[in-house]
Amino acid sequence: MARVVVMGAGIAGHTAALHLKRILKKSDEVIVISPNSKYNWIPSNIWVGVGKMNKSQVTFPLAPVYKRKKITFHQALATAVHPAGDSQISSPYIEVTYTDSNKNGTSAKIEYDYLINATGPKLNFVATEGLGPDGHTVSVCTSDHAIEAAHSLKAVIAKMKAGQKQTLVIGVGHGTCTCEGAAFEYTFNVEHELRQAGVRDLAEIIYLTNEYELGDFGVGGLIFTQRGFQTTSKLWTESLFRERNIHAILGAHVEKIEAGLIHYELVDGTKGMLSFDFAMLLPPFRGVDMKAFEKDGSDISAEIFAPSGFMKVDADYSGKPYEEWLASDWPNTYQIPKFPNVFAIGIAFAPPHQISKPRKSPNGTLVAPSPPRTGMPSGIMGKVAAVNIAALIKSGNRAKVRSASMADMGAACVASAGSGLRKGSAASMTMYPVVPDYMKFPTTGRSTDDTFGEIGLAGHWIKLLLHYMFIYKAKARFGWFLIPE
Amino acid sequence: MENETESIKHAPLPTEKTLRSRRNLPFQFWRFAAINFKMIKMIRRGHH
Repeated sequence: MARVVVMGAGIAGHTAALHLKRILKKSDEVIVISPNSKYNWIPSNIWVGVGKMNKSQVTFPLAPVYKRKKITFHQALATAVHPAGDSQISSPYIEVTYTDSNKNGTSAKIEYDYLINATGPKLNFVATEGLGPDGHTVSVCTSDHAIEAAHSLKAVIAKMKAGQKQTLVIGVGHGTCTCEGAAFEYTFNVEHELRQAGVRDLAEIIYLTNEYELGDFGVGGLIFTQRGFQTTSKLWTESLFRERNIHAILGAHVEKIEAGLIHYELVDGTKGMLSFDFAMLLPPFRGVDMKAFEKDGSDISAEIFAPSGFMKVDADYSGKPYEEWLASDWPNTYQIPKFPNVFAIGIAFAPPHQISKPRKSPNGTLVAPSPPRTGMPSGIMGKVAAVNIAALIKSGNRAKVRSASMADMGAACVASAGSGLRKGSAASMTMYPVVPDYMKFPTTGRSTDDTFGEIGLAGHWIKLLLHYMFIYKAKARFGWFLIPE
Repeated sequence: MENETESIKHAPLPTEKTLRSRRNLPFQFWRFAAINFKMIKMIRRGHH
């Protein structure tokens, strides 16, 4: 009998847990540790943030699903990993602190044979003074944040209905943020809502981003073929901004936020201030607060985790210059080299380098969009980690493990630009691979056959279809595993 | 850095016909099928 512990119940962890239970023997045990009692389909939070969906439409309780699937669930926060055990416990184990109402605050040690770290990010609002729900801006990172954003948006719409002009700033709140796609989506959903409310002419919408060019999305932009020409996501995105009359401030690092005032520095070193009535700025991410200890009790956190707090896996972390990196630097199996029974997937693994070119201002401020690894790539990593663990349990060192490198993985991204079955729209994009491979695709780094973008109502239908399909899958309903990640 | 406002100001603006096609139901049904096909093809290529 083997015991697999999964830390985290987001897209990566939940997918891994469900597949593990499906593939492993009945006698094997799958344990999920998550501080949250509910699953959140995060891509739909932007619709909660404009009041088009409520919390119950994007979340559901995890416990009944795990009970039905015979997965052990601990509502707890993982705080430390002991990958070689300690002087008293010979097996590897993790330390957790319970967050549910019954055991709240009590600690436990949970032993494992295999461990998956899918803890996702820590929302690092404190990196920017005044950023976030405890400061002066709103967020759509969690369903509760999105509800608050919807309330704030409603308030500014009411002011516009009363004839007051309002400035809405949407984007990212630090030079090293990721998830620019979500900020893009929220920008256009807000614009759509303002038009629906009949107050668009009273609103100035400003997209504030660390991207050097529009359409970068943290992946260095896309090049695709359209009507016999190669075009770029930059041109395509700029066109949408012009059509919807949305202004953009690019290459920005937000330094500080005061009530109604954003202080930022641009990559060219100039500093600026921006007044706002409503601001939704995403926070930078870092790894969750977790420590790692050797058998003798010595702290090996610096060896296991990158300075960003994300876990170091089978990638090249030699820190070579951006211009010299290769697709092969990216991890294949997401195992920690020193402890191959430990995997880190989804946002929890440390990317070896940025995909989008990092830049520094003359003042030394880093403006570097971090690589996105949410959604489809997270789901694929979850499934492949589960398959590989099952193979390792069955065949030990002779097991043939699969690769799930982001340099050999595609991603589909449907960025909503407004909801409504007749009036909605979305930008549908695919890219293959996520991490450009200039050895395979010397011209653009990606396959021009499998990389494309298109705007229209059909994209909204696809986004809606994906919402219902992936919540069905996450609830592990009949045939769930037939739905691809 | 390129002046972003200038860059957006000179971006191609979709024509009325393009904007209509983005909401035209029969055309969008066709695009729904076509985009899904493209996504499935890409997923099959990159899925592990």
